Amino acid sequence: MTTASGQSARPVLACGEVRTCLLPSFQPLDGRAAAQLLRLRADEQVRVSERPNLYALSPEVLTGIDCRLPTSNGAKVRAVGTVAARAALTEGRVLQATAHFSAPAAGPDLRRPWGDYLVRPGLVESFGKLPEQAAAEGALRGGGRGELDLGMIAEGLLAQLLRHPLLDHKAPFKSRRTHLRWAARRVPPGEAPSLERFTLAEDGLRTVELKVPEDTPTAAVAGLCEDLALHDWLLTTVVHMLDNSRLGAADGPSAVLALRPAVDHLLHLWMPRAHVDRTLGHLWDVLEREPGFTRQWRNLVQRIRDQLAVQAIPLLHQALSTR
Amino acid sequence: MLIFAASDKGGTGRSVTSANLAYHRALAGDDVCYLDFDFGSPTATAVFDVPDARQAAEDRGLHAYLIGEVSEPVRVDVWADTEHHVLRNRPSGSGRLVLMPGDLSGGEFATTDDNLHRCVDLLLRLNSEFDVIVVDLSAGRSYAVDMVLEATSQRELSGVDARWLVFHRWTRQHVAAAAGLVYGKRGIVAGGVARGHDEDTLRGAIRFVRAAVPDPESALWSQVSATQSAWMRACDRDLKQLASTLGIGYSQVLGSVPLEPVLQWREQLITDEDVLDSQIATMETWRALSDLAGRLTDDKYWEQA
Repeated sequence: MTTASGQSARPVLACGEVRTCLLPSFQPLDGRAAAQLLRLRADEQVRVSERPNLYALSPEVLTGIDCRLPTSNGAKVRAVGTVAARAALTEGRVLQATAHFSAPAAGPDLRRPWGDYLVRPGLVESFGKLPEQAAAEGALRGGGRGELDLGMIAEGLLAQLLRHPLLDHKAPFKSRRTHLRWAARRVPPGEAPSLERFTLAEDGLRTVELKVPEDTPTAAVAGLCEDLALHDWLLTTVVHMLDNSRLGAADGPSAVLALRPAVDHLLHLWMPRAHVDRTLGHLWDVLEREPGFTRQWRNLVQRIRDQLAVQAIPLLHQALSTR
Repeated sequence: MLIFAASDKGGTGRSVTSANLAYHRALAGDDVCYLDFDFGSPTATAVFDVPDARQAAEDRGLHAYLIGEVSEPVRVDVWADTEHHVLRNRPSGSGRLVLMPGDLSGGEFATTDDNLHRCVDLLLRLNSEFDVIVVDLSAGRSYAVDMVLEATSQRELSGVDARWLVFHRWTRQHVAAAAGLVYGKRGIVAGGVARGHDEDTLRGAIRFVRAAVPDPESALWSQVSATQSAWMRACDRDLKQLASTLGIGYSQVLGSVPLEPVLQWREQLITDEDVLDSQIATMETWRALSDLAGRLTDDKYWEQA
């Protein structure tokens, strides 16, 4: 693994945080409106793709940082550089903001002029050697006061987007945001990428630990984690909706009405790997085996459809008997 | 739906009553968030009986968030974290009940553009997540009142329903002060209009809640002498007359909460156990709170008079 400071330019660690929420608008945005919303920079286009689903990805914006990195062992590591942030909108409905950075094994002991950092967007250098393991664990734990807080940067971008005049803040249903923090240790090129751990914590927090070859761009890792976050958010949101609908307890029609937004806005969004880098797509297999994301989703969808069918039977009877 | 709880003076039971309303909405299945914007004297952790949160919010509460010291204010899941033995058992079918406490050390502060943006961001964000958001504001024409008036006048929040509850006690001074707080020269309406609110819309979104109202017909007063009883009735009549003259008469009232020792002294949520088992609180109070909670979103009570 990379330890010598001479190889310091090669990143050994990439970390990020994704925040996922329902777009607060009555109607989903079409491709054109999505591009308008995500135009974070005048000099770069928003990427919009319509196959296999409508997906828009903003250009990256940079935030300069000079602060301590969060570490799990309390080591004080000052770091300087830029954090990259970007936003994605899926089917004009689910909005995500990601902040991420890469870090080399070691950096110079002196702060250099900002220009040096700006030419390497998304790279953060530590003063001296980077305690890889502690920094990766620290990133998953999240930044405290005075430490690099990727969530704050992602949240800032999300807040900026939510103030856009295109949004009417009349979302068709209430839903929670989720936060997904990820840390990817770099392995030599040629080694297979792997998903080491996916955890669900409280308050909508999820963490992902990855191993990814050095030659995989950080943006591709960010894309994979956005895809995981999107589908985890869909599961979380539909499960909550089913819980709140009081199926079985409330009388039929009202329970079904509570599920209507899922049918209108969410059920068609399930499409794992749709925009994930080809070299990383198979990491999904791990989650499909255990805990089985798609298995749970199918089960939820089936439950909703069964309820709709059951509720339709009395209506059918009525219609037949009044003929 | 945003519900702002304001009052002319302290001691109107604003915090404890609005917390009870939040509790009733959560019982009915809504996801509810309660924000303690009473910056001078945050009390919500006591009302919801979450003493640990008091420490957690020491420097990470709403105050620290609004002045930009933390990226997110602390959230307390009341069902999970409360030490109240009844609240701990979350009833099935109930919604989430989340408290965002104020900081212990936080005082009043001026509204800057940055604070305002953070306030707007927070309200937008909570609105996308919760059915009902109760914001408990410091008494009088405080910075908290100014800030939310300013925030709700912003374009971003124009699509979000906001309603105001003004709590006052049932006395001559309190009735006059409540009318002044809303309609006075420096009142909420004037302040709102100065910030770009439409006057009729804002007036239509304000209702009064009469707190600690002694009901002369109640069993509590059945033993008083005839003269006392007649005097109470006369006072009550005069107060109604005064309220109506000051523009806060019947049509502007969302509801009344009876004089209830448990609310006055314990300053905590009233649970069904207090009413049914230990019977320290009366059924009238429970019903009044439940009715009020229902009326928060019942448009019938918010039509223009």
